[in-house]
Amino acid sequence: MAVLSDITNEFIRQEIEEYLERPEEIERNIELFARVRPAMQEIAAALIEGEDGEVDRLTKQALDGGTEALEIMDDGLIAGMGIVGIKFREAMIFVPEVLACARAMKAGMKYIEPILSDSGVKPIAKVLMGTVKGDLHDIGKNLCTMMLRGSGFEVVDLGVDISDDEFIDAIEEHQPSILGMSALLTTTMPNMGKTIEALIDADVRDDVMIMVGGAPVTQEFADDMGADGYGKDALSCVSLAKSLAKSLAGERG
Amino acid sequence: MNQMPPVKEMTSRERVLAALRREPVDRTPVCNPTSVATVELMDLVDAPFPHANRDAAAMARLAATSYTELGFDSVMPVFSIVQESSALGCKMQWEQKDNWPTVRMNEPIWKDVEDIRIPNDFLSHPDMVCVLDAIRLLRKEFGNEVAIIGKTMGPWTLGYHCFGVEPFLLLSLDDPGKMMMCLERMKAATVQFGLAQIDAGVDALTLPDHATGDLVSGEYYKRFLMDMHAEFVDTIPVPLILHICGRTVDRMDYIAQTGMAAFHFDSKNAPCESMDIVCDRISLVGNINNPETLFAKDPADVRGEVIANLEAGVRLIGPECAIPLQTRIENLREIPKTVRRWHGERSRAH
Repeated sequence: MAVLSDITNEFIRQEIEEYLERPEEIERNIELFARVRPAMQEIAAALIEGEDGEVDRLTKQALDGGTEALEIMDDGLIAGMGIVGIKFREAMIFVPEVLACARAMKAGMKYIEPILSDSGVKPIAKVLMGTVKGDLHDIGKNLCTMMLRGSGFEVVDLGVDISDDEFIDAIEEHQPSILGMSALLTTTMPNMGKTIEALIDADVRDDVMIMVGGAPVTQEFADDMGADGYGKDALSCVSLAKSLAKSLAGERG
Repeated sequence: MNQMPPVKEMTSRERVLAALRREPVDRTPVCNPTSVATVELMDLVDAPFPHANRDAAAMARLAATSYTELGFDSVMPVFSIVQESSALGCKMQWEQKDNWPTVRMNEPIWKDVEDIRIPNDFLSHPDMVCVLDAIRLLRKEFGNEVAIIGKTMGPWTLGYHCFGVEPFLLLSLDDPGKMMMCLERMKAATVQFGLAQIDAGVDALTLPDHATGDLVSGEYYKRFLMDMHAEFVDTIPVPLILHICGRTVDRMDYIAQTGMAAFHFDSKNAPCESMDIVCDRISLVGNINNPETLFAKDPADVRGEVIANLEAGVRLIGPECAIPLQTRIENLREIPKTVRRWHGERSRAH
């Protein structure tokens, strides 16, 4: 079993010591970063600090040095974002800080994504993402989209203010396994339920697993609307999508 | 507050204004600092969205239903949070009857502090004139019977609309000094529209400024907004009701220090916990849950939340925020009904 001192990067060690509280998360992150190469730890540290220029430079440097794109993504970018997600969930940081980290992740992903898409790696599942009709807020949806892509999902991002018909058309066109809907406002949340009803009427509801999220959305509200899952934040969204994809894979044998 | 000796019967307006001053009331007022417009109410008075957001007579008709149809003690003609942004030049989506108007924040009009300009004809813009005329119509119709509350957006919310939420929040981190300069420039819009609504006849103003706990920390509120909100109290001479959605207990102590008359709080904050923080420094307004209770549940559930607020000592009872447009009238009527019944039972018991 790895211990904290096995992690070479001092900043990462401090982050784990200072911000992680759940024993299973401390253990998982120590195990993860202890096996991760120092250069990847450095990328993760720059991402956690929201330094997009530094992530850009380090990612390019690692690729030029022959490191695999997948290793940079998993051990540098996603590993760093994992700590960011925990800090956000525990209200140790807020959206501006998360946005800065997301900007840093994008700075690295701009090099990684083209390489991965050319490599023919099969995605875990295809996810359709959109903010419901009448709602033009997309920070949460964009963070989820970025984290899903980084975690191996193919994501079709429909954008904001998506009507029932647009969701239905997109399901028919892209045939995703999962549909993710988001709403930030208590005034637009009910539109999630309306969209689910429209999917039932159009006979496409059973073609997708539906996950919902957004600041005012709760598990109870998601259940009442007939969604298959609710994610509180971008980290939960990824776990939820993985579990929905797994249950689909089980159903489809 | 609710243990005070009996107070002579008050008009709705007197009741709301007394509660905003934290003075004794004959019963707890039912107040609507954001919006209780619904599709049902639009049909009742033939004032559908988007018309009711842009035509003074329709706006006043729909606003009046809060008093005439629901039995609230206040009326609020500004249903949305977009009038100023429209006047500032933001790209708008006025939507249809069953959807809220919204600003296309993904097409921001400003990128830097130098871009910020409050137009000379800001108050003459049709979407501002509409609000001012609606206030005059309401005052003419109701005199001093019901509290007329206006709404002027704070600079933080204007920043979301004019810069886009993401760039605005990133600016706060990348260049806090520039962020302060932006807020300083935008606050003129808040003050101008507030003063114009006072001239038109409002009794109080809601000042939504969405530094919500879902986006930023309590320390952010203190750093960027607390002093500015205190300044609004000095420059806008009517009771101000600050509205911030989401979890806000981490900033309620700061909010209570601004001198605002009231804070309109969200159901994510328990009434007792919130009252313990603010004590008697500011009135609380709220906090009946919208999406799960008012929209989706029954009057019995509404009743439970109203009573929880009354028992905690919340001074003005109402929905936590603007309600979903499909909310049933019977759930909204249950709020004043429960407040009256609760006070009736207590006065009989004493």
